[in-house]
Amino acid sequence: MPESATPESAMPAPATAGAYGGTAGPRRRRFDKGSVATHAVLCLGAVIMVFPFVWQVLTAYKTMPESVQVPPSFLPESWRGDAFREVFSALPFLEMLGNSLLNTLGRTLGQLVFCSLAAYAFARMQFRGKNVLFAIFLSVLMVPAQLLILPQHQIIQEMGLLNSVPALFLPGMFSAFGVFLLRQFFMSLPKELEEAARIDGAGSLRIFWSVMLPLVRPALAALAVITSMWSWNDLLWPLVVNTDPEAMPISAGLTSLEGQFLTNYPVLMAGSAVASLPMLILYLLLQRHFVQGIALSGSKA
Amino acid sequence: MAVFPSTAAAQARGKYRRGQGARQAPDSGPAPTRNRGPRRTQRSAYLFLTPIAIGFLVFYVWPLLQTLGFSFTSFGVFGGNTWVGGENYERVVQDVTVGRALRNTLIYTALGLCTLPVAIVIANLLNRRGLRGVAIYRALYFIPFITLPSAVGLVWNWLYNGDFGMVNQALSVIGVDGRYWVSDPTTAVYAIGLVMIWSQIGYYLIIFIAGIKAIPQDYYEAAELDGAGPLRRFFSITLPLLSPSIFFASVICVINSLQQFDLIYVMTSANNPALGSTESVLTLFYQWAFEENSQGAAAALAFLLMLLIALLTYVQFRLQKRWVHYA
Amino acid sequence: MRRRSLLTGALAAPVLAAGCARDGSSADSAGGRTRITYAIWDPLQVDGMRKIIRAFEAEHPDISVKLQVTPFESYWTTMKTAMRGGTAPDVFWMNAVNSQLYASNGVLEPLDPFIERDGVDMSEHPPELVRMYTYDRTHYAMPKDFDLIGLWYNKKLFDRARVPYPDDTWTWDTFRDAAAELTDPKRGVHGVAAEMAKQYTYYNTIAQAGGYVIRDGESGFDDPRSIEGLRLWTDLIDRGWSPSQSAMTDTIGRQLYLSEKVAMNWDLSAMASQMYASPAIKDHGDVAVLPKGRQRATTIHGLANVISGKSEKTEAAWEFVKFVSSRPAAEIQSREGVTISSLAGTQRPWVESMPEFQLQNFIDMLDYAVPYPSSKHTAVWENLQPRLLGGPFTGRGDIAEAARTLARQMDLALEQEK
Repeated sequence: MPESATPESAMPAPATAGAYGGTAGPRRRRFDKGSVATHAVLCLGAVIMVFPFVWQVLTAYKTMPESVQVPPSFLPESWRGDAFREVFSALPFLEMLGNSLLNTLGRTLGQLVFCSLAAYAFARMQFRGKNVLFAIFLSVLMVPAQLLILPQHQIIQEMGLLNSVPALFLPGMFSAFGVFLLRQFFMSLPKELEEAARIDGAGSLRIFWSVMLPLVRPALAALAVITSMWSWNDLLWPLVVNTDPEAMPISAGLTSLEGQFLTNYPVLMAGSAVASLPMLILYLLLQRHFVQGIALSGSKA
Repeated sequence: MAVFPSTAAAQARGKYRRGQGARQAPDSGPAPTRNRGPRRTQRSAYLFLTPIAIGFLVFYVWPLLQTLGFSFTSFGVFGGNTWVGGENYERVVQDVTVGRALRNTLIYTALGLCTLPVAIVIANLLNRRGLRGVAIYRALYFIPFITLPSAVGLVWNWLYNGDFGMVNQALSVIGVDGRYWVSDPTTAVYAIGLVMIWSQIGYYLIIFIAGIKAIPQDYYEAAELDGAGPLRRFFSITLPLLSPSIFFASVICVINSLQQFDLIYVMTSANNPALGSTESVLTLFYQWAFEENSQGAAAALAFLLMLLIALLTYVQFRLQKRWVHYA
Repeated sequence: MRRRSLLTGALAAPVLAAGCARDGSSADSAGGRTRITYAIWDPLQVDGMRKIIRAFEAEHPDISVKLQVTPFESYWTTMKTAMRGGTAPDVFWMNAVNSQLYASNGVLEPLDPFIERDGVDMSEHPPELVRMYTYDRTHYAMPKDFDLIGLWYNKKLFDRARVPYPDDTWTWDTFRDAAAELTDPKRGVHGVAAEMAKQYTYYNTIAQAGGYVIRDGESGFDDPRSIEGLRLWTDLIDRGWSPSQSAMTDTIGRQLYLSEKVAMNWDLSAMASQMYASPAIKDHGDVAVLPKGRQRATTIHGLANVISGKSEKTEAAWEFVKFVSSRPAAEIQSREGVTISSLAGTQRPWVESMPEFQLQNFIDMLDYAVPYPSSKHTAVWENLQPRLLGGPFTGRGDIAEAARTLARQMDLALEQEK
């Protein structure tokens, strides 16, 4: 079991090769019962996690009557991709994917910028009214999204942005969740870093940008992933502001396949499986950033 | 990347040696802070906050104030609201369905919190050094989080199906008689709660993996030099240093669980006889606001829910001093 | 406008182009044509509607119609939000549940001036349907299709149990006896799916028993005859001739019927095309008129097109609404086989589109169809029903008592409407 075979060690950061959290010291590797047990637990968990997705894909290959039949059949009778073709013809699928992409990009970039600035101020700076302001920010987090739909719709309308891509992401660019998440990470950084930089004469923005921000990269990656998922799957808001199919993201577009009395499940499942692929890819890409972690260890110097 | 790594590392190491590392946080949430920074920092702090504050004012605070206004009116579906004072709040307090929805919501919240220990353990397992296939596991655990709620609901309803579902087929193998999990008033709320846990594990995993990765490596190295075993390392380094993430996750988890909507909505059809014992405050809100056109009462209900959320969050912030360790 | 350009400029420069391009394309008149938006919810009808729109645009080159499909689940939420903001589509689908609410709030365009001017004959549509969309003696909608409930049955299961197929001689007794005979626990087959599904099941039997759901703003659920209509179903469950409501929450009656697990199922005419798509049901399935109780009845419901009161293109919108309910459009719709066109004499293509099923039975039932019950806030008391009737439909509690409680609460809700 050569070390280089593990996906972990293929990652560029040497930091991750350090021993932490686990039992597997290099000398005990060959007879590692702990590792086997870990795999057993993780595998079982993975099966439970993935099974519904597998079911979704299998359903996509079934015919409509097959998909609602009881007892359910596990495998489709034949592997026709009809549903996949149908979903592409029933919806302006690529256009909707494009809208989803812009929506996701807009929200994520907005949150990364706005939230990290605010989070840094809350975590590392002293100013008047900080706690009151933070409490107000947090209270935004406590508002159920459904509650604000009507007034928010009105604002977007007054901006003349109904049925446009910016309508999808504008409110979502500002997130109390993001502020809170990043604040937690900023707070857990050692204080000495800033002080050293300040002694070197760096200004607030410089310290933020070139010292502190790089240190919370895992958190930024986490925020990016979480925000992307939420934007990608967001439903009610897009349905309310963008009724025009050409301005809808894919999440909203897919629901227009749901019938009032009976839904064509294979098509819906095919669509939602295809629609979740970009997110999976994004996750795989960003995952490297969690893995890399922060290079606080001396080895990087 | 890190500009002053060696200083930080040295300090981090020194800190571990001093004890369990974690010092009390200089600031722990909305507790009063006395010392203000120099004028220059103050100004830049406000500058840092300005962009998001504008966004919040326009898209959240102003709409929220409007909605607060709605809650004191009899809301005209197509415009034209009439002031009714506290009537909506009276209705909310008197309505028996609200009490039931609140009880269900609290059950969802209790179940939702169970996600955290599970996610912490998995995050920790995934951080085992040299474990093969970590990247694959991470991706697999993440899949529920990227699946559309309607697909999740559909698939789980299939699994829970009383006559043909896999859950009952598996149970019959070990000689247990299954039930109609989602339509039985005694089990429905737990059946849905379990799916809730399932669907959000991937989400908390992201937070915890990021949190564990942010723990300086040196702490572990120092601990290993001291001869600390894996369990001790978990309890004396990972847990305390992860506590800001855990705190964050538990605040978010409580807020999210109290606002549970999607899953309940997609898993319970309109003629489910267990409807009364699955509906949450927010599904009730949705029903009032959008199906039954009483936006005013619905807004009142939502504000009472927010009050509860605020209260629970406040309690969590007060308690954090006892267990959350910032660097 | 300044605020808009400021915001988009600062925050959304890269996507501004996309946003504006869209704005431009959805402008009121593209190349001198009046552009109207048309909102519908059923994906099954999209193809048919596209064909109708094409036919309309060919006839009216100066008008273009933009179709918007919003899922039923969020259709009304979206509609109300848009209405408040004044951005509702020009023409949209209306149903019975919402019609009085919209009409009474004055957000729909009254159609009478147009109907009179153009001499449109409303009596060519089923009268129950026209009444459903009449408020304060004003017509607010043009019916486009209708739906009835029929008794769908499975010939294979009937043959196996040696029970004669249902026909117009059937009464409640014949129906009950057949359900008993057809139940075959060894094969996991039930005689019928006695689902707690208002429009499909108990609304019909309540009317057949001589009861009513709502009349003059009061609930009829406590009427002894209404209770009789409800008890027909709970009785079938109690005797084991139907799965319980718990089982049918997990697997709905329609699914059980499609999987040949129930021999009979009361279901919509609109499901015909879906049944037809299932090879097993195409071979073994068929439909009969509903059995007779004290009297004959079936629930009729239909969709209609309305014009938003806030539309600025009322004239073009009316031309389109009129066209969708006209003969050429009704025939296109009928041929699609999804739904029955409401215009008299255009149902034949639908009936003939699935020769294996005796769809003529649906047309025959029109004579005694009763309208889908509704009031201004229909959803309020519709939501009460599963919560209060759920017990008796799962074998817990007495249906008469539950029905009386339901009537009390429904009356309270109706009181609020006034």
